[in-house]
Amino acid sequence: MKTMSTLDFEHITPGQALPPLTKHVTVEQIRQYAEASGDRNPIHLDETFARSAGLPGVIAHGMLTMAFANQTVTDWLGDRSLLKSLHGRFAGMVLPGDDVTCSGSVASKDDATRRVVINLVVTNQRGEKVFNKGVAEAEFPPQRSSSNAA
Amino acid sequence: MTDSRWVGRSYETAPFEVTEQSIRDYMAAVGDLREDDELIAPPTFAMVYGFDAYWQLWTDQEVALDVAHLVHGEQRFTFQRPVRPGDRIRTTGRLTAINSRGDMELVTFELKARDAEDRPVSDGTALFIIRKP
Repeated sequence: MKTMSTLDFEHITPGQALPPLTKHVTVEQIRQYAEASGDRNPIHLDETFARSAGLPGVIAHGMLTMAFANQTVTDWLGDRSLLKSLHGRFAGMVLPGDDVTCSGSVASKDDATRRVVINLVVTNQRGEKVFNKGVAEAEFPPQRSSSNAA
Repeated sequence: MTDSRWVGRSYETAPFEVTEQSIRDYMAAVGDLREDDELIAPPTFAMVYGFDAYWQLWTDQEVALDVAHLVHGEQRFTFQRPVRPGDRIRTTGRLTAINSRGDMELVTFELKARDAEDRPVSDGTALFIIRKP
């Protein structure tokens, strides 16, 4: 929660792994996400409705999982404004009680454009992919210093 | 099967007034609590300020998507600039494709978000999967 300095573009290496991020998903968090996002689709909130729709029970919003993938990248970058694009597939359902882990690695780095491409995948506690083919792109401003510390 | 004649239909949100509270509520909900020097919304907050466009599509009685069997299949965002408290963002969503694949229907929805000066804020593409009952 404390302010962290922005990542230094020069220190990024293709192949490098991002620090993984694990989240324990709860019914309360899904409800909180529904309130904050406005997405109150009953498949996320109403157990009976979710089962009648053929689901095992309420499921987390795909966009909650994508928010975790987003955070994995922006925590590593240390600056939310550097993220230029984010893409991925919701490969599996996330249910309350699941522990999901986001993993990322640097796919490529372009010195001319100061762009970095990151591959992302999110798996559950059984190792099943719940978000895959994730790709994030970040762009660093020209010749910035790595931190604003004096 | 959703009628393909609805391809091209578009929806526009009212201006979404970004407040510090709306950003902090979102950060708390997803657990992304890192404080930067300046408060900037997590980029996926695009789903919040654009949400009403999705909602209008899902509840359009003429298009009549089978939302009980709809899941989010894929999502893409492109961010043109960071979002801060005080921004007024209007999002336009357009239904651009309806395809059938096996026992699934694939619905593509493309979104463009612009600020009060009509400058681009973000683009989005959502792919929804409707499982045929």
